[in-house]
Amino acid sequence: MERAVPYTVPLGQREVFQALQRLHMTIFSQSVSPCGKFLASGNNYGQIAIFSLSAALSSEAKEESKKPIVTFQAHDGPVYSMVSTDRHLFSAGDGEVKAWLWVEILKKGCKELWRRQPPYRTSLEVPEINALLLVPKENSLILAGGDCQLHTMDLETGTFTQALRGHTDYIHCLALRERNPEVLSGGEDGAVRLWDLRMAKEVQTIEVYKHEECSRPHNGRWIGCLATDSDWMVCGGGPALTLWHLRSSTPTTIFPMWAPQKHVTFYQDLILSAGQGPCVNQWQLSGELKAQVPGSSPGLLSLSLNQQPAAPECKVLTAAGSSCRVDVFTNLGYRAFSLSF
Amino acid sequence: MSSESSKKRKPKVIRSDGAPAEGKRNRSDTEQEGKYYSEEAEVDLRDPGRDYELYKYTCQELQRLMAEIQDLKSRGGKDVAAEIEDRRIQSCVHFMTLKKLNRLAHIRLKKGRDQTHEAKQKVDAYHLQLQNLLYEVMHLQKEITKCLEFKSKHEEIDLVSLEEFYREAPPDISKADITKGDPHQQTLARLDWELEQRKRLAEKYRECLSNKEKILKEIEVKKEYLSSLQPRLNSIMQASLPVQEYLFMPYDQAHKQYETARHLPPPLYVLFVQATAYGQACAHMKSSQPPRQDKTLSVAIEGSVDEAKALFKPHEDSQDDESDSDAEEEQTTKRRRPTLGVQLDDKRKEMLKRHPLSLMLDLKCKDDSVLHLTFYYLMNLNIMTVKAKVTTTTELITPISAGDLLSPDSVLSCLYPGDHGKKTPNPANQYQFDKVGILTLRDYVLELGHPYLWVQKLGGLHFPKEHPQQTVIADHSLSASHMETTMKLLKTRVQSRLALHKQFASLEHGIIPVTSDCQYLFPAKVVSRLVKWVTIAHEDYMELPFTKDIVEAGLAGDTNLYYMALVERGTAKLQAAVVLNPGYSSIPPIFQLCLNWKGEKTNSNDDNIRAMESEVNVCYTELCGPRPGHQLLTNQLQRLCVLLDVYLETESHDDSVEGPKEFPQEKMCLRLFRGPSRMKPFKYNHPQGFFSHR
Repeated sequence: MERAVPYTVPLGQREVFQALQRLHMTIFSQSVSPCGKFLASGNNYGQIAIFSLSAALSSEAKEESKKPIVTFQAHDGPVYSMVSTDRHLFSAGDGEVKAWLWVEILKKGCKELWRRQPPYRTSLEVPEINALLLVPKENSLILAGGDCQLHTMDLETGTFTQALRGHTDYIHCLALRERNPEVLSGGEDGAVRLWDLRMAKEVQTIEVYKHEECSRPHNGRWIGCLATDSDWMVCGGGPALTLWHLRSSTPTTIFPMWAPQKHVTFYQDLILSAGQGPCVNQWQLSGELKAQVPGSSPGLLSLSLNQQPAAPECKVLTAAGSSCRVDVFTNLGYRAFSLSF
Repeated sequence: MSSESSKKRKPKVIRSDGAPAEGKRNRSDTEQEGKYYSEEAEVDLRDPGRDYELYKYTCQELQRLMAEIQDLKSRGGKDVAAEIEDRRIQSCVHFMTLKKLNRLAHIRLKKGRDQTHEAKQKVDAYHLQLQNLLYEVMHLQKEITKCLEFKSKHEEIDLVSLEEFYREAPPDISKADITKGDPHQQTLARLDWELEQRKRLAEKYRECLSNKEKILKEIEVKKEYLSSLQPRLNSIMQASLPVQEYLFMPYDQAHKQYETARHLPPPLYVLFVQATAYGQACAHMKSSQPPRQDKTLSVAIEGSVDEAKALFKPHEDSQDDESDSDAEEEQTTKRRRPTLGVQLDDKRKEMLKRHPLSLMLDLKCKDDSVLHLTFYYLMNLNIMTVKAKVTTTTELITPISAGDLLSPDSVLSCLYPGDHGKKTPNPANQYQFDKVGILTLRDYVLELGHPYLWVQKLGGLHFPKEHPQQTVIADHSLSASHMETTMKLLKTRVQSRLALHKQFASLEHGIIPVTSDCQYLFPAKVVSRLVKWVTIAHEDYMELPFTKDIVEAGLAGDTNLYYMALVERGTAKLQAAVVLNPGYSSIPPIFQLCLNWKGEKTNSNDDNIRAMESEVNVCYTELCGPRPGHQLLTNQLQRLCVLLDVYLETESHDDSVEGPKEFPQEKMCLRLFRGPSRMKPFKYNHPQGFFSHR
C-alpha cells in the first residue's frame, strides 16, 4: 500500500500545522488541461494544484512527479468547480468565477486573466458557485450555486446575459443536453429542472424525492449529482441513484446504493458514480453493480475522465474527495496510484 | 761428513791392504794426518777441471785394465798370471789416484758448503736489519699522522665571527697587522678575546646573583608585611557582613560561589557563568524592581566541593583508576534492579557516575511559580542531564488527568521539537554502552535526569552528527546563543503547563473554564456539555478506530499526552480523542471525533464531522484568545460543544418520522447547507450572533 504508516517523527509548529492542513483537506473539483497532459484540482483552502499526468504516468515516474508541479492560491474560499476550454481554465467557488490561461499556468505564472461576479441580490453571505457548465455552441458559461439561479455568461463579452430562476434552494449540479441546447440542474430542493436556453425558461421539472421508488427521507431530498445522455438522465444524492427517461419523466432503473452519491457520469455503456465511501461504483444500465473499485479517500466528490484526444497515453479516470489525494485509475479495474497535494 | 768419509776409507784400506799389522795402520794414520792438512791446502792449488780430466782418464785406464785382465783370464795360460799381476798393480795405482780424487772432492764439497753457509748468515743479518728499519719507518709515519690529526680544544669553542672580532676587539688583542696574514696568530688573538669576554660575563653574572638575592630579601619582607595584613582584613570583612546583609549586597556570598564554581566540570561551569550572566542582565533590565531577591533567575551550586577536589587530583595522574572513587560512589550510588553480573553492574555505575557538584537553577515565572532545574554532569559520558521540578505559591489540587503535566519526567519534554531527552546526545556513548551492556539510556533517565539537547547546548556541548569529534569542548558562545531562547521557552512551558493544570481541574468536573476575555468567541447559549475528561494511554489512543489518520500523519508520537473527552447533548454523544503536544500552546491539541447518534459518525463517513475537526484543529488560531494563548484547549472544547449544537440542530429532519425534532433549531443560521459537500454553518459571527459558512 502506498499509505504506509510513517514513523512518528516529532514535528515543529509549522510542520504540525501543515500536516493538519493536509489532513483536513478536501478536493472539490478537477479539470483536465486542453492538451490532456495536466490535471488541475481545487481544494477547500482555495488552492489550485496542477499535476502533470504525463509525468506521473510515465515509466520513470518518481514520488515527486506525483506532487503538483505548481500550486497557487486562486480563491479565498473553497474551489467548488472548474472547467477548461481549449485556452482557459475557469474556477469558481466563493461567488466569483475566475479565468486563467492554461499557457500561463503551465509556465507557472499564475495570474488571473479576469474575474466576474454574477449579479447577486444583496445578502449577508456571498452565495457560492457550485457548478460551472460550458455551452460550446453558444460560447457561454453557465454558473449555478447558492443563490438558486442559473447565470449565463457570454464568454465573448464577459457579460451575464440571463438568469434562470426556479429552484427554491441552492443548486448542486448542472448537465448539458448536447443536441438541443437544454440544461439540467439539480439542487438542494430535490428537483431536477430542465431549462431551454434559447427561450430562457424552465421546460420540465422532476421532483425526484416525490417518487417513492427512489426517495430516502432520512438522507434528505437534495440532488447532488446529475448526468445526461440524449433522452436519459441519471441523478442521485439524498434520494437513490436513479436512471430516468426524460421524455416520460419516469424512473427506469434504481441503483441499489445506500450511500448518497456526489458525482455521476456516463462512460460508454456504463454509469460511473462516486460519493460517500471510498469506492468508485460502476453500474450496468440495468442496475447491476459491475464493480466497486476502492480509492484512497474516505469519500469522493468528483470524478474526471480524461478523454482529450491530444493525449491518448493519459487517458485515465481521476477521482478526488475528502483527502488531499487524487486517485488515478489507468483502467477501470483498480487504483494505480494517487497524486497528492 | 768428513768422519763418515774417513770410516769408509778405513775398510777400503784394510781390504786393499789385506791383513797387515795394526801398527802399520797407526803409522799410516799419523802420516795421513800430516797429509790431510797438506791435502786441504793442496785443494786450493789444484784445478778442479784438471782433476775431472784425470778422473775420467783414470776410469778409462781402469776399464781398459779390467777388460785386459778379463781377456787374459778368459784366455788362461800360465804366462798370463804375471801379466795379470802387472795389470793389477797398475790398477791399484789407478785406484789410489781415484781415492785421492775422491778425497779432494770431499774436501771441496765441504769447503763449498762452509762458504755457502757463511754467505747465508750474512744475508740473514742484512734482512733482519732491513725489517727493523721498515718498522721504524712505519712507526714514524703513524706518529706523523697522529700529530697531524690532533684536535685542539680551542676548536670546540664557538668563537665570534671574524668580522665581529676585528670590529669589537681592542687593537692590543686583535693586532690586525700581525694576525691578518697569519691564521695561527689570528686564532690565538681570537681566543684571547674570547677569554676576555668570558671574564667580563662572569663578572656580570656575579653581580646579577647578588642583585637577585637582594630583591628576594625585599620580597620576603613585603610578604611578611602582607601576611600580617590578612587577619586585619578578615576582621574588617567580618565586621562588614551585617552591613552587607542590611544593604542586600551579597558580595561575599557571590565570592564564595565563584570559589566553588572553580571546581565545577567545564560544561557546568559554562552553564554557571552564562546563567549567572543572563540572570544579572535580566535583573538590570528590570532595574525598577528594587529588591535583588526578586530576580527571575537564581543560580546555586550544590554538592560537596571536597569530593570534587578529591576527584580532580587523581584524575590527573591516573585517569581510569576505579578504586579511588569509593567515596563519591557512595553519594551517587544509583539504586537499580540487581543484576547477576555484579562486576558489570559496578562498571555501569562507574560509567553513569555524576560529578559530585551539580547546578541548581531557579527560574521564577510571573505568577511566582518556580521552576527548579538541577543540572548534572555525567563525567564518563561527557553529557549533561537535568531534573526539573515545579513549585507554586498556592497549593495545587492535582486533578487525576493532570498527573503527567508537571511530573519531572515530562514537564520539559520536547522543549524544542523532537527533543524528548531519552537518548544520549553524544554519539560516542553508544559504544561505551555496548561495552557494559546498557541498551539505551532511557532506562536510567529517571535517576540521572534527562539529557535534553538544549541542556547540552546550555553547557556549551555540541555533538555534530556529520563530523564526530574526538573531544568535545564546552563552548561559551554556544551556551550564550541558546540561553535566552531556552529560558523563554522554559518559562512559557511552565506557564502553559500550569495553565493546563488549572484547566484540567475544571474539565474533570465537567466545567469548561472559558475566561471572560474569550467569551466573545462563543454564543451565549451552549447546550452541549462536557461530561468526561480523562487521560488515556498512548497505546489506547493508537487503537481507537477513528484516530487512524492522525497516527498515519505521524502526529501521534509517544512524547505526546493523550486524553479522551466526551461531550453530550441528549442522546448524542461525541467522543473526542485529544493529542496534547508537549509544545502546547504553540502546537495545538489535535482532536479526532466520533459521534454516536443515529449510528456512528466519524470523519470517514461524515463530511460534517470532518469539518468540525477541521474547525478545532486547523482554525485553532481564532481560538487562542489573548496572548500567550494558554486558554486554547478550553476554547477548543467549548468550540466543540458549539459545533455539536450546530451539527445536531441543523440535521435535516426526517419527514417520515413522526413527532418533534429532538434538537429544535435554536441557533440563527443564514443557510443550513452549502457547497457540494453540504457543509453546515459552523462559523460563529461574533457581535451579530449568527452562524454562517466558512
